[in-house]
Amino acid sequence: MRTLTPTRPPAAEPVPRAQPRRPRHRGRGAAVWFLAGPYAAFLAVFGLAPAGYALWTSFVHDGSFAGGRNWTAVLDDYRLGEAAQNVTTYLLIWLPVLLLTVLSLAFTLHARPGRATGALQLVYYLPGAVTGSAAALLWLFMVSPDSSPFGPLLRLLDVENATDALSGGSLIAVLAVMGVAVHAGGWIVVLYGALNALPKDVLEAAQVDGASAWRTMWHIKLPMVRTYVAFVLISSFASGSQVFVEPTVLSTGAPGQISPTWSVNQLAYVYATQDGDFGKAAALSLAMLAVGLLAAWIVIARTRMYATDPTEAR
Amino acid sequence: MNAASRGARALFLLGAALFFGLPLLWLLLAPTRTAGDLTTGSPLGFGSLGNAADAWAHLMSYNDGEITLWIGNSVIYAAASVVLALLLCVPAGYALAKHDFAGRRTLLTLSIVTMILPPAALVLPLYLEMSAVGLTGTVWAVILPLSFYPFGVYLAFLHFQANLPDSLLDAGRVDGASELRLFWSVGLPLARPAIALIAFFGFVRCWTDFFLPFVMLSDDRTFTLQLGLMSLLQSTGAVNNSSGFADLDIHQPEAALAGLVACAPLLIGFVLAQRFLRTGLLAGSEKG
Repeated sequence: MRTLTPTRPPAAEPVPRAQPRRPRHRGRGAAVWFLAGPYAAFLAVFGLAPAGYALWTSFVHDGSFAGGRNWTAVLDDYRLGEAAQNVTTYLLIWLPVLLLTVLSLAFTLHARPGRATGALQLVYYLPGAVTGSAAALLWLFMVSPDSSPFGPLLRLLDVENATDALSGGSLIAVLAVMGVAVHAGGWIVVLYGALNALPKDVLEAAQVDGASAWRTMWHIKLPMVRTYVAFVLISSFASGSQVFVEPTVLSTGAPGQISPTWSVNQLAYVYATQDGDFGKAAALSLAMLAVGLLAAWIVIARTRMYATDPTEAR
Repeated sequence: MNAASRGARALFLLGAALFFGLPLLWLLLAPTRTAGDLTTGSPLGFGSLGNAADAWAHLMSYNDGEITLWIGNSVIYAAASVVLALLLCVPAGYALAKHDFAGRRTLLTLSIVTMILPPAALVLPLYLEMSAVGLTGTVWAVILPLSFYPFGVYLAFLHFQANLPDSLLDAGRVDGASELRLFWSVGLPLARPAIALIAFFGFVRCWTDFFLPFVMLSDDRTFTLQLGLMSLLQSTGAVNNSSGFADLDIHQPEAALAGLVACAPLLIGFVLAQRFLRTGLLAGSEKG
């Protein structure tokens, strides 16, 4: 949720011409660093230092420099291949379903805004309040046909009990459904807001020209909010690739069904805690950090969702 | 739009509402029912408030009312992180928006990068760092990293950018006010909406965080409610009774009640602060 802060993409509104830089006054330097310094220190210690320290740790084994040994040891671990495959499959199922849910609901809501629009958005958004172990607990019940309001549906899918639903490949389906329930609402609010911010005259012109709701959506609205769609997709990819909490907590409800190294981050966690092998944990978590950084870079450089300069911000 | 497509539209929106809403409705009702009724009765039935009170009494008997300890921990950690984050974020956002200084662009860019980065990506590196300085297992390993809140800085930055005209500051400068004085008496009074927004989202973040405290804390007396809930499920097998200790009075209604307590502050906050939430989600795009 903390990442949902798009500014309006430049296409929707012309960026005002750069104003001349404010002149600097003497004696302000100290004041500025008094204001921003403490935060800058926290950024260094809790944002940058962990990555730097992990990089150092990844090249150390038993207190001495080990070159690439930790990295090759991680790559040779058969569990990495399985975990990477699990996460990839999860993303391949979750991302399209999430995107389709978000797009279809946001566009359907926007096609005819009415009194219920706000209430419906709230209903779609509320599951975002149930996260972590509470979400796992709730969905353990939701996939148990005896107690779930979706019981008939589950029996249709041949699910007899929670253990059934969490074993083998169906675990990924449960994770994907949970992921959609928790995350879709926030994105619907964002996308609906973006649709609402579109210039009214263009949409009215389309209506006057007799374009159907479907054509308006497909040929006018969708291209105009495509930056947001990319933003949803990239951010969700980044957070989904780090999946850790859901498989960890779900495994408490079905002991023995879910491998403790099901996802890549879980494997890194096992290196760090059970194996006590900080070198391998550092190497693997850095690789995952690189995935996240790549996604962040794409968001900043390509979608231009975030203003980094006063003249870019509104 | 003709009647058929209007009907299809309503059907689609309502179907989605069932998917998102039914689990929550179930969670609200489950604590009022007995364990037997939960598995055999109608999924969305209402039991009695007496049952809910019993479930709460059973929960309280778990490890001498450890759940109240967890609730207290969650509140303390979240409050400490949010207060510290506010102290860091608001002045920094002000400086970034209203001052041009060497390193400004770097600071802003790094903030945005760390803000977009999924929080989980930094948890294990943070764990390595914290164990190097011997802080793992202490509450500081949770509170301090959570006080670093780049999204809060970005919200404050956008707020000052949009709502504090330079002319106001310049007028103060002409009157001879120092830069710190300007922040204190001109910037800060205008920052109230940003402070509320940062506090709200900061609280949500701290309250729901699982991975960081899970990695950092090991003593169950220091657990947050999120962690406590997991250890409760683990040790009682309340959800899937194939494991655990049958002699504990923790069954499905108790587990559901604990889950409900864990997310109640957010459910209430989301309902009461809808406008607020929307502003935060659309920060920067829907001003004025």
